[in-house]
Amino acid sequence: MEEIRRALAQVYDPCCAEKGISVVDMGLLRSIAVTDGRARIEILLTSGWCPFAARVLDEMKLAAETVAGVDTAEVEIVWDEAWTTDRLSADATKKLRFLPDPVAVTDRDAYLRQHARTEEAS
Amino acid sequence: MIDDAFVFDGVAHPFNFDPKNAYGKPGEMFSNHLYAFHATLTPDNATTLPPEDFLRDWTPTDIRQMVYEESDTDMLVAMPLPLTDLYRDGLSPWEECAELASRDPERTVFWGSVNPLEGRRALDLMERQVKEFGAKAFKFYNVRYDYGTPYPWRMDDPQIAFPVFEKAQELGVNLIGVHKGVPLGPQPVEATQTWDMDGAAAAFPDINFVIFHVGLPFIDETCWQLIRFPNLYASIAATVNFSVRAPRMFAEIIGKLLFWCGEDKIIWGSEAPLFHPQWALRAFMDFQIPQDLCDGYGYPQLTDQAKKKILGENLLRLHGMDVEQTKSKLARPPSGR
Repeated sequence: MEEIRRALAQVYDPCCAEKGISVVDMGLLRSIAVTDGRARIEILLTSGWCPFAARVLDEMKLAAETVAGVDTAEVEIVWDEAWTTDRLSADATKKLRFLPDPVAVTDRDAYLRQHARTEEAS
Repeated sequence: MIDDAFVFDGVAHPFNFDPKNAYGKPGEMFSNHLYAFHATLTPDNATTLPPEDFLRDWTPTDIRQMVYEESDTDMLVAMPLPLTDLYRDGLSPWEECAELASRDPERTVFWGSVNPLEGRRALDLMERQVKEFGAKAFKFYNVRYDYGTPYPWRMDDPQIAFPVFEKAQELGVNLIGVHKGVPLGPQPVEATQTWDMDGAAAAFPDINFVIFHVGLPFIDETCWQLIRFPNLYASIAATVNFSVRAPRMFAEIIGKLLFWCGEDKIIWGSEAPLFHPQWALRAFMDFQIPQDLCDGYGYPQLTDQAKKKILGENLLRLHGMDVEQTKSKLARPPSGR
């Protein structure tokens, strides 16, 4: 199972490839089961209308089938659970949700002044 | 009006889903993708159309009826779609939008659209759309499909984008929309991100830019840009349609926008006929950010005042129209739906 997870960590989420965020980091993966060389992988989509869903399924299937002991893999989208941002890894959260929660910002304008300056300096 | 709010809908497309209009399998797949969007997000208390009723050529008469006769909308933007590699006519040709606007010249506003990669030809067409067809703004799409290949271009490109912005200003137009996020098919996603809006907004401070679909899924990027540039706005078209099926997701998006960008910078849009405008209007008017999200994350509540601004007042202001005068002239009594 861990080998399959590692292989899937090389498949990038189509909207975040340039940020280096994998389908595993995005929290798309729900379960992996292997029986007699057949892997069954359940995933959640971040959105039901993802136009890249077919590509993600293909790439995950191909990645899983590179793992020793896996003859065929089937990747299935599950719909009985909604993807939420809680599923993001810490690294993905840092890259995608870089604005702090408002509750952590005592003064929005001060935050803006401070961080806009930092951005200009960098 | 819905309740006491004037509704200025920032986007409707007279889609041409006639199968003969689609270029082969990719066009057919994109039509089906939009149908899935319609079927997935339309709530139980509204009508989900069967594919044969949805996947057809929607005429200006159809759009007019849906928006004005079947919903509490007071004004509308008729907006082209130039998906010219997927559909023979681009899916919503600008001529059809101009025709839709001509049916209700006071209520329906035509936004033009050209392909900036076409250089002189694009500038000439802008002139024609403004002078002959009364375009009040322009909408651009950063990934063009042409000759079987996607051609991304950036809003901060001095050679591609700036000439069309300069032409708009020369024509007296200071409002420009851009499709961001929500890839229209298998596009290079990075070109749909919003980072290029900094350069556009800084170089053209007298043009107001509207980022459609709040750049989803790149909401933090969009917020970060809106707060730093007074001339950037965000349209919740297509985003608001998550408000019933995925209310906490919508609550998070609107909560972030309200906190970081403020209620003056958010614009309404129905995407009719992809979604019927009325259910989204009702859902938005009734929407409250769940209290645990306000308490836990610090989002401000979506107030009645914010709803009024988002539903119409902000877009009236962007068109240079007086809010109170326009309301007294064009507001229609609420239907109570």
